[in-house]
Amino acid sequence: MISQAAKDSFERIFFQAARTRLTTDPAHACEFVPAVSPGPAQPGVSDEVLVLTIASIHFRIVLSLQFGDDEATRDYYASQGADRTLREAAMEIGNLCCGAINQQLVEHFPDLGMSTPYALSSDCLGYLDELKPEYIAAYDVTLEYAARLRATLCVCASAPLDFTAQVADVHESAGELELF
Amino acid sequence: MSVLALAVALLFAALAAIVAHRRATRRALRLQDEALARLAQTHAEEKARCDASVAAHEARASGASAEIQRLADALASESENLAQANAALGETRARQDDLLAHAKRIEGESARLKAFSATFERWHEQMISLMAQNHDMHRKNQELARIVNHVLMVSLNASIEAARAGAAGRGFSIVAGEVRSLATRSQELSKSYRDSLDRNDLVTTATFQDIQAGGKMITAALASVEALARQFQSKLERKPT
Repeated sequence: MISQAAKDSFERIFFQAARTRLTTDPAHACEFVPAVSPGPAQPGVSDEVLVLTIASIHFRIVLSLQFGDDEATRDYYASQGADRTLREAAMEIGNLCCGAINQQLVEHFPDLGMSTPYALSSDCLGYLDELKPEYIAAYDVTLEYAARLRATLCVCASAPLDFTAQVADVHESAGELELF
Repeated sequence: MSVLALAVALLFAALAAIVAHRRATRRALRLQDEALARLAQTHAEEKARCDASVAAHEARASGASAEIQRLADALASESENLAQANAALGETRARQDDLLAHAKRIEGESARLKAFSATFERWHEQMISLMAQNHDMHRKNQELARIVNHVLMVSLNASIEAARAGAAGRGFSIVAGEVRSLATRSQELSKSYRDSLDRNDLVTTATFQDIQAGGKMITAALASVEALARQFQSKLERKPT
């Protein structure tokens, strides 16, 4: 029910949202490695998973983010506020990332709404099939060659979904002033 | 002789005077006739000019009368058109008032329906409550798992002690084995229960997040309808310039 173009669009939208919102600086390196989901998370990943939902009339997206529970990840996000715990930072960053996805999707689907984030045990991810998803994509994301997280995009649709989203390549335009 | 001559002279003089008088009279008559002729000609010319002028005037008067009639007809026609336009304007105004009333009702309904957000908020609070209960059940299940593990250890120790006691501990060994079997089943049940709770956590969270996000979607859609109704109302209320 979800066309390949729509799946590719979801991926492009997520990549752009991750590059701009999961990083503390859009110029930072952001690498994606496709992962199997539900499957074993990277070693050292938190046993807690952050869940957010974007709802539309005919589909919903459940975005889950498992941040690395290691020094590199803590140090990376500590730069934004030393007094914050990684969980607090993850809540805010996850919210921003989901908001960026929402912002891109609203160009194609005018009726959208976004939930607040909620933290669950990472064991819950093993039951994503209970949501009867039409499309699941998981990525192991490495930020600035140090911080790590596992992102899972789960799309449940009640009607055929086909759209093509074009997103600007953030690496090409970040920090550059283009004059024509 | 001289008297005769005088008389003759007088006669001639009288004749001459008469002749002269006659000539003068004829000349005067001729001049009078000429003058009369000129006057008659002038009069005829003047009369002809007056007649032409009267004819022209009558023609103009006739044209003006036709024009007045035409204008009167046009005025009547325009008056009729104006009456129709006034009637149409009245209908349009009535329709506009009706549309305005509808726009106000839509705006009012949209504003009223925005109160749905309170319902969504209540659902969200219920989700938090439900998740808290799930969390409590997780905690109790973990405690149960710890107890079961402990019972397993105790039953294992009991089996070892029963084996040491030899024949005297045979009965106790059977009981210890039964306890271990029950503890193992409890452990499996506890794990299954934990899996159920995890599944429940995900489905509950995803469902209520869907409700929460859907609520925001509906609220945004209603706000959009309200804004459109307000714009429509504003356009209807705007006086034509």
